[in-house]
Amino acid sequence: MPKVIVDGIEVELAAGERINGIQAAQRAGVEIPHYCWHAGLTVVASCRMCLVETGSRNPDTGDVTMVPKLVPACQTPATPNTVFITNSEKVSNARAMVEEDLLIDHPIDCPICDKAGECNLQDYHFKYGQDQRRADIRPFTSRKREMGDTVTLFVDRCVMCTRCVRFTREISGTSELFVINRGSHEEIDVFPGYPLENRMSGNVVDLCPVGALGDKDFLYKQRVWFMRKHDGVCTGCSTGCSISVEENQDTVYRLKPRENPHINQWWMCDEGRYGYHHVHSDRRLTDVQRRDGVNWTLLEWSQVVREIDERFRNVGRVAVVLSPHLTVEEAYLLGKYAREVDPQAQVVLGPVPVEGTDETFKNGFTIRAEKAPNRRGVEEVVTHFMGQVATLDNLLISLANSEPTAVWVSGGYKSNWIDAAAADQIASAAACLVVHDTFDSPLTEKATYRLPEGTFAEREGSYVNFNERLQSVPWAIRPPAGVRVAGSVYLELLGEVGLYKARRVLVEVAERIVYFAAAAEPVGPLGVDLKTPVLEATPTA
Amino acid sequence: MTTAAKQIMPFEPVLLANIHKPDSHTLRVYEAGGGYQGLRKVLKEKTPTEFIEVVKSSNLRGRGGAGFPTGLKWSFLPKDHPGPVYMCINADESEPGTFNNRILMELDPHQVIEGIILSCYATKAVTAYLYIRVEYPTCYQRLQQAIDECYAANLLGKNIAGSDFSLDIFLHRGAAAYICGEETGLIESLEGKRAWPRIKPPFPAVEGVFRKPTVVNNIETAACVTQIAARGVEWFKSIGVPSDPNNPRDPGSYGPKLYCLSGHVNKPGCYEAPLGITCRQLIDEYGGGIWKGRKAKAAIPGGISMGLFTEAEFDTPLDFAGPGKVGCLGLGTAAVVVLDETVSMVDFLHNSCRFFAHESCGQCTPCREGTHWSLSMLERIKAGKGRLKDLDLLLEIGDTIGIIPGTTICGLSDGAAWPIKNAIRKFRPEFEEYIKRTNPTGYMVTEAVNALPVVALH
Amino acid sequence: MGVLTEEMIAAIKDFFPRYPTRQAVTLPALHIVNERLRYVPLEAVVEIAQLLELAPAQVQDTLSFYGYFKQDKPHGETRAWVCRSIACALRDGEQVLDHMCHVAGIHPGETTKDDKLTIEFAECLGACEYAPCMLAGDVLHKNLTNESAEAFVKQTCTGHGGNGQAGAKH
Repeated sequence: MPKVIVDGIEVELAAGERINGIQAAQRAGVEIPHYCWHAGLTVVASCRMCLVETGSRNPDTGDVTMVPKLVPACQTPATPNTVFITNSEKVSNARAMVEEDLLIDHPIDCPICDKAGECNLQDYHFKYGQDQRRADIRPFTSRKREMGDTVTLFVDRCVMCTRCVRFTREISGTSELFVINRGSHEEIDVFPGYPLENRMSGNVVDLCPVGALGDKDFLYKQRVWFMRKHDGVCTGCSTGCSISVEENQDTVYRLKPRENPHINQWWMCDEGRYGYHHVHSDRRLTDVQRRDGVNWTLLEWSQVVREIDERFRNVGRVAVVLSPHLTVEEAYLLGKYAREVDPQAQVVLGPVPVEGTDETFKNGFTIRAEKAPNRRGVEEVVTHFMGQVATLDNLLISLANSEPTAVWVSGGYKSNWIDAAAADQIASAAACLVVHDTFDSPLTEKATYRLPEGTFAEREGSYVNFNERLQSVPWAIRPPAGVRVAGSVYLELLGEVGLYKARRVLVEVAERIVYFAAAAEPVGPLGVDLKTPVLEATPTA
Repeated sequence: MTTAAKQIMPFEPVLLANIHKPDSHTLRVYEAGGGYQGLRKVLKEKTPTEFIEVVKSSNLRGRGGAGFPTGLKWSFLPKDHPGPVYMCINADESEPGTFNNRILMELDPHQVIEGIILSCYATKAVTAYLYIRVEYPTCYQRLQQAIDECYAANLLGKNIAGSDFSLDIFLHRGAAAYICGEETGLIESLEGKRAWPRIKPPFPAVEGVFRKPTVVNNIETAACVTQIAARGVEWFKSIGVPSDPNNPRDPGSYGPKLYCLSGHVNKPGCYEAPLGITCRQLIDEYGGGIWKGRKAKAAIPGGISMGLFTEAEFDTPLDFAGPGKVGCLGLGTAAVVVLDETVSMVDFLHNSCRFFAHESCGQCTPCREGTHWSLSMLERIKAGKGRLKDLDLLLEIGDTIGIIPGTTICGLSDGAAWPIKNAIRKFRPEFEEYIKRTNPTGYMVTEAVNALPVVALH
Repeated sequence: MGVLTEEMIAAIKDFFPRYPTRQAVTLPALHIVNERLRYVPLEAVVEIAQLLELAPAQVQDTLSFYGYFKQDKPHGETRAWVCRSIACALRDGEQVLDHMCHVAGIHPGETTKDDKLTIEFAECLGACEYAPCMLAGDVLHKNLTNESAEAFVKQTCTGHGGNGQAGAKH
């Protein structure tokens, strides 16, 4: 196996693998500090923070010959027998020099800078910088410059890594950001009248290694060390970007993309990134209510599930509408419950919101018009129960021609998803209509039971994106008082006790539905490709 | 030990042979003097590869500042590349003290053009871009005129002089940035972007302008190519300093060189001499000695980037190996600027630091911040708020920035570093005296001090 | 019609066949506009970008790298670049520059009120044998003294003589 050596530690390379010194060192557990390098952008090697000593080891004799000058690890390929040294005095002096250089004109804004706590300049200063200020001091705070609707630039904090400029040129292809002037007078700017306004603009804030680029949505709202991060999936569209949901005490403060080479690489779109405010909207439903004539009666969760179950069994005919915002596990459980009560129960796919057309950027990243995270997953669950994909339209037709039916409609949509006409159709055909949703809609007006549902941030489970990739994520925050997430409700409907654990349900789904077979094995943080062929499981006793 | 230069006076100029003729810049005068005979001969008698070997065997080293062997650079081009191959001629001459390219372009542009055509023939380039600094308008006019004459005379364009070889030369004006003289800075500028030098590898020979194989050569180098074609390799190698027989890697310093002499001498000017004359010989025998009856104090050996000779070091030969022996960066552009005994080294270093801070492209941290910090310190020292510690900090900057330690992308920072290192190390007592005298209460402070208010420096 | 005239656009397009990319025509285009307008306003940058199929940000990026192109208003009819590098500084070039600015009543980079003269400092003009020197338009002024510099300013600002034309047309 080809190897490279980092500080004496051997790192194996896969055949034909092309990585650089920084990545090789990561594998050896060694951090090579850097600002300008990013695996998703071209290599410029301009920050000079990743300077290391390099050489080669003779595979036969074991002799190591080192190159006399420092080289940037980001532009040095880790070819077999390359030797990297990161812990010599030469290297530490070089790092201290770069840190000192960057701090010469960098305003020490830490107490008022959002980036504190996740700032490369801070972190590297503590680890690799000098403890004495030697340069001429010029105390000042940074000027602010508007880049667009989503991003603010604190001009003087910039370290000229140019990641943001390269992003707009190479990834979004929109070229709004550029560098002005020359030498130490260089700054980042936008051309007057051409602000940063592409739909991936928020990514430049992720890329900025210091507090120069600020996200207007997040600015001054929360200190990063108070937040906890949870793996998540963006539920904005069927691309299903892997994300990180960052919260403190059950309030979501921001979403960030999570690196996933199979789906979104390092990016997410603005719609997804800023699409969490509905989680804390004061319009969210929080009361369990039953309509009695013209009045609404408040109920308790502890009573209502059993009450609904009794009524559904009384009516006998059941239909359930599975929202494409439900997880695979939730969709399955609701379908399972429906069939338990009524072996002929209709299990259909709820309305799938579509807005505009797919937008693809220069590097291939696509924001999809299908604005739901799990149509594929829910479709397959529906197919499992019905033999084919059945939709709400199919249901409305069959409801028109059948006896009174108890209908459970699941929601979890971010905004208006059903109009008054369709709502009327469902309500008039339903003997008992349960709507479990996040916000009021024409349908909740007509419901028999109006139940408050959780949002994506409160939900654990799995989603299948446009490309048949399944991702499983935990919940990030607890729902507000009065709200109960679908999974736990369905578990109670089915008469099971205990805490809702999506994984257990997914295992059952993987056993019962061939499409999901690849999810029988524990699903890693990058998800699993359901198109992976899976061997027949050995039948267990 | 390199042998001393041969008798230099009188040296019959070759590169400057034409410049005093009336209308020297015209095709008529150039051809009347034997111009383009070399080209015609090479086109008839040598293949491109053969001519590369000719230039290689002459050990011609690039005249732009780095002294890299020209034939060797040409041979780095990939053999079977589908092309096109591009030639970039570096006429961005901006190294302070240097003006020999200007003289060649203004007064003998055809000698340069013939060299370009020969170089393109050898490297199979089909297009040559002559990147010329915007501060040389007369050169631009003369070159364009000469190029137009060549097209009319079938010396450019299709099937040059009846051969299979076709070539276009286009002039491309810069916009006053020193870094465009760096080969990949030039390439980026030519491509229409900011002139931020590229990281290497890939080298321009493999992936240059428009991502195609490219050779970047200097104006004077092109003129030498013309003379090698006209007069032969033996002639070229009969001039200058032979390679050190004990060092197989030494290509020697062959051929004539245009030395620029300016500063505190009686006769500043451009003088042609064999490579290897000493600084003292240049000043005394060509430059008329130090002006105003004064004594010399120091001299820049090859453009300000190369550092400083002290007067005691004036006997150093000005060839590719000489200046390095006394702690200078190298021969550079062989532009000697003389400082007399009245010059303050603080003023000198301030001028140098100001130049490099202004011209730093700003791409990489050590150069962008290091040149800026050096200038801040020199401003403060000049203003009477200097500290002895500043000298140590300046030396530290000088010792750590550059492609030689590997901390920067290009050699501009080595050029910024060398004047700092040479000036302070060779004239430290003067700096210390100045600091102590102008800042008697603060010169021993070691904690960081406040910067001077930011004045519009640029 | 925008800031770029038909003639300018045609002149810029003449450069297209010389290069395999449009972006390479950026500097030639900037010079063409600068020669005619004596500056390159933001509107011109937008129009150049359209011609070259680039974003305005890309053209502005290149433009602002060089200190050469003014953008707020045209420079004077004559633009005089006075060298401040080492060879000229050794022969009192900086004092001559100071004196010139004093006589003209402006700082380096500024233009006289009558719009006749802009004085700039330059880095090495490549004429060190004639230090201190100044490039005004296409004319190189050699061996400047306070007196010759003052005479130049007076000639230029009163409109006598055309010692320095603001850029040649190529």
